[in-house]
Amino acid sequence: MTSIIDTPTSALPTSVRPTSAGPLVIKHPIEPEAEPAIRLQEVRLTYETKEGALLEAVDRTNLTIRAGEFTALVGPSGCGKTSLLRIIAGLTPASNGDVSIFGQTPKEAQRHKRLGLVFQEPALLAWRSVEDNVRLGLQLNPRETHSSTNVHELIEIVGLSGFERYRPAELSGGMQQRAALARALAIDPPLLLMDEPFAALDEITREQMRYELQRLWSVSHDPRDPPRSAVFVTHSVAEAVAIADRVLVMSPRPGRIIADIPITTPRPRRPEHEHSDRFVNDTAIVRSALRSPTTPAVPLDAA
Amino acid sequence: MVSEPISDIDQLEAPGSGRIPLATPDIRPLLAWVLPPLIALLLLAVAIELWVRIGDVSIWVMPRPSGVLENFFADFGGYFSEGLKTLGVSLGGLAIGTAAATLLAAGVAHSHVLERAVLPIAIMVKVTPVVALIPLFIIWMGHGWNPKIAIAALITYFPVLINAIAGFRDVDPRMHDFFRSVDASTWEIFRHLRLPAAVPYLFASLKISVTLSLIGAVVAEFFLSGQGGLGAVIWIEQNNLRLEQVFAAVLMLTLIGVTLSTAVVVAERLLSWRLDQPVAAS
Repeated sequence: MTSIIDTPTSALPTSVRPTSAGPLVIKHPIEPEAEPAIRLQEVRLTYETKEGALLEAVDRTNLTIRAGEFTALVGPSGCGKTSLLRIIAGLTPASNGDVSIFGQTPKEAQRHKRLGLVFQEPALLAWRSVEDNVRLGLQLNPRETHSSTNVHELIEIVGLSGFERYRPAELSGGMQQRAALARALAIDPPLLLMDEPFAALDEITREQMRYELQRLWSVSHDPRDPPRSAVFVTHSVAEAVAIADRVLVMSPRPGRIIADIPITTPRPRRPEHEHSDRFVNDTAIVRSALRSPTTPAVPLDAA
Repeated sequence: MVSEPISDIDQLEAPGSGRIPLATPDIRPLLAWVLPPLIALLLLAVAIELWVRIGDVSIWVMPRPSGVLENFFADFGGYFSEGLKTLGVSLGGLAIGTAAATLLAAGVAHSHVLERAVLPIAIMVKVTPVVALIPLFIIWMGHGWNPKIAIAALITYFPVLINAIAGFRDVDPRMHDFFRSVDASTWEIFRHLRLPAAVPYLFASLKISVTLSLIGAVVAEFFLSGQGGLGAVIWIEQNNLRLEQVFAAVLMLTLIGVTLSTAVVVAERLLSWRLDQPVAAS
């Protein structure tokens, strides 16, 4: 059985095929001909352990994420989600295969500041104020800073007005994560990569942040650039279904994408949507894919 | 109109109540820190004084503390002037040793090859008694200030080197990833990430090396007494069996040591205040 990941878009069943009028296109108009945000071809990652044994972290992966898509990556612990994200970000070189970010290598994408990174922990510089932390990405590699982002405006958008001069240690975990998100958005990257950004937050803040993220996703984005795409690694199925246009499910190690599930809930999404039949159904499909790691594709037609 | 009786003591302190709070600084915590060692020192001096007087101890074995203090204040200008020379050697050595060690640590933190090449040599120099090198330094640099400063630098570099390497490497790996994700240069990573992260480590090493630099300066002055300095005073006066003068010079050295250590602590607190303390929102 062919995995949906490897299937050309045109060959997908109507129920899951993204079309220009379809429900997948929510934030930005997705142009099928446009350069994909991410293209992975035959990507593998193998580690050598201290004992000299080879450990396969990511199995042969082929994946295309189009410009404007918000994709969630879910899977059991240690399945290689973070490794895959790091390969995309150019932080860990793939052992095999090709990685393309808007037609560029990850290194070129870094050079042109096309990647925005958000981590599980806020990872802010303790000795800098909120404002200076948000400004950091603009100060580094200044020749490539073309963003006209107004840092004060961005801080206001993420809800940290009045806290510009505060140090990270003076903020709550949620506020720190907002600052980290603002820092990633300040360089106005067309691709936002997030590794469990809300994992360290309490449940209430987490729920609040997942809906704010949808609002912040396209903030200050230059309309001349391709629509902003996002890859969001999470352990939470509900979070993935609530946020994403598309949920990719990974198998246990060696990680490979075993299901590609479109989420058809229209945007803007609100917390009430989590009580809808559609949300419950999508969640059940993702859970079923997680429970059947050997199944190459979930019963997509059931969606 | 009859005013309401005050039922709660907190009402007296309520903001806007019109009461002007008494701005009396509380010096009790300071006294709690300063008084015990002062009293202990005083008791020790009194005990020695009694021991010397009652036991009729020879002045060539142990002078009376009162005599030492008398000598110290009588020739305070002289001890202060010699102390400044020792302080100059100490600070010169500390500056050169710290700067060289920090630069070397910056290189080592970026290169494991450099680490493997340099660290064994640094450790070899560290385990070699510095005193043994003084004659060589005199041959190479003459009898002026240079060999003394070199000894003070050599004795101070190692704690700074080891701590600075640890500090430059102790960066949050996610922050490092963020810097890489925007293609930050090695210099940008050093300037904005590694150097600020190393500040607490550098101060920890300075607390050790500031006193080491004083030791280096005094030992070098024993050998090179021509240019003066408290080390030279101690060396000359002990040859003359003038122990009151020796103790007075040691007292001045103690004061310099305490001043230097306090300066490092104050500088660290000031910088920590700048880095960590709450800053009011504008």
